[in-house]
Amino acid sequence: MRIQIIGFGVIGQGLARVLLRKEEELRQRYGLEVSVVSITDISGTAHAEEGLDLRKALSVARETGAIVNYPGAKEMSGVEAIEEIEAELVVEATPSNIKTGEPGLSHMLAGFKAGKHVVTSNKGPLALKYRQLVSEAERNNVEFRFEASVGGAMPVINLARETLSGDRITAIEGILNGTTNYILSRMTREGLSFEHVLREAQELGYAETDPTYDIEGIDTASKLVILANAIMGIDATFSDVKIRGITRITPEAIRLAKERGYVIKLIGEVKNSHLEVSPRLVPETHPLNVDGALNVAMLHCDVAGEVTVVGKGAGAIETQSAILSDIIAIWKKVKG
Amino acid sequence: MRVSLDLELKDEPGQLLLALEPIARHSGNVISIIHLREEEKLRAGYATVHFTIDVPDKGCLERIVEELEERGVRVTKLGEVTKKSKLTLLMIGHVVDTDLRDTIDRINELEGVMVSDLSLAMPHPEKESSAIVDIEVSAGVDRHRLMERVYAIAKEKDLEIVRSLEV
Ligand SMILES: NC(=O)c1ccc[n+]([C@@H]2O[C@H](COP(=O)([O-])OP(=O)(O)OC[C@H]3O[C@@H](n4cnc5c(N)ncnc54)[C@H](OP(=O)(O)O)[C@@H]3O)[C@@H](O)[C@H]2O)c1
Repeated sequence: MRIQIIGFGVIGQGLARVLLRKEEELRQRYGLEVSVVSITDISGTAHAEEGLDLRKALSVARETGAIVNYPGAKEMSGVEAIEEIEAELVVEATPSNIKTGEPGLSHMLAGFKAGKHVVTSNKGPLALKYRQLVSEAERNNVEFRFEASVGGAMPVINLARETLSGDRITAIEGILNGTTNYILSRMTREGLSFEHVLREAQELGYAETDPTYDIEGIDTASKLVILANAIMGIDATFSDVKIRGITRITPEAIRLAKERGYVIKLIGEVKNSHLEVSPRLVPETHPLNVDGALNVAMLHCDVAGEVTVVGKGAGAIETQSAILSDIIAIWKKVKG
Repeated sequence: MRVSLDLELKDEPGQLLLALEPIARHSGNVISIIHLREEEKLRAGYATVHFTIDVPDKGCLERIVEELEERGVRVTKLGEVTKKSKLTLLMIGHVVDTDLRDTIDRINELEGVMVSDLSLAMPHPEKESSAIVDIEVSAGVDRHRLMERVYAIAKEKDLEIVRSLEV
């Protein structure tokens, strides 16, 4: 299968590394031969009909920070690459943008229009235009999968839609952002202030220089919208979410909660078509009480009862579990 | 609905069954049966048994009572049990300076809602403090309305509210 990678940062490069590692295994287990025919970042596009040398692409990216330095690469944009280069599948891994959805939105739409399947980790376009994207994919008869957009390596979308396909999901609660979970967990354990732990997390590279998306609950809200649409069939968009972040949580508040047997977690919840992100008191013994940077989701199912999944919400390599599972699912479907 | 009823049964074998049959026939579900002690007996030769049952609706309950009476079982007490649930709220901000008493009174004003427990943490007089309260919520109270009231108060007093998950 010929694939194109759009966005060659943490996730795009992680995919290249895992494809190298699993080349043989994918062939043996699934008869799947992945050939990456193009890679695009903001600088341009590297392209090779017979498949790029991923080792070389990785070293070019590492050493020069721009894929345009790959031998023969051109100043070609993502949309152009999708329109002009022959391939079956596009992996979209550009930064999430919750204001316009761009550049991901245009990449995905161009992919569908060109009759290409799309796999993405980019939540912005989904949180803003879920319905439009899904219907465009359907109209063009291509697959569109986005397991990596929610919870990184934690399987939740495909779990609900495929494994739990006989159930109706009536409500969802979860911790969908690793950074805030890390901050709250550390405040709880060490009794430190929010500002202190945030600064520390930034120094360690766990939190972005601009942490707004995480600590204000915006990232969690985007993922919640995707879950509401994808597994509960609710036609919601980002502006429908009631959002409160964790910036006002204090060590004293955490201590008071603890005395009553609670921890404080930033929870995304979909219930009765109502979407909310807010810090909540979670009983210490509750399955949602997971520590560190982990993500967790609890699905309330009409037949199975509660099903809870825990996993790493991010990571260059870990997130590839989700991306690979989507690529393999598409491969299995199209090869018949 | 959950109801509690005291039944007077003859102090002899087989009487319990006499009471259970009508309950089962009209879709009642027995939650507990307690035999009241000797000194609480109203009549010699009779024992008072305290039942808690769940019934689908009032109609079923009426039919159960009717049938019990027909069988000579006296219903001496009957009442609906209101199921209470707990909600815990953590408030962060100037909880004391913004009149904690008033905050609690305004929550209590809602019918079926009662603040039952409170702890306070004040790290420093100038800094934000926090309070955690348990609220007992009777069955039938609209939790959504309750939270709307809480958030309105919080907005007015610039308090951050952290509420418990519904479990
Ligand atoms: N990191 C994780 O663990 C993780 C987990 C789950 C989901 N995600 C999502 O996955 C996506 C990618 O994340 P990331 O961590 O890999 O981000 P990243 O490291 O910032 O990489 C983004 C890449 O997209 C490229 N790019 C930006 N604008 C572009 C454009 N207009 N056309 C083509 N390429 C463009 C960037 O190029 P330049 O470097 O040249 O600017 C860079 O190569 C995001 O949407 C993120 O939310 C990430």
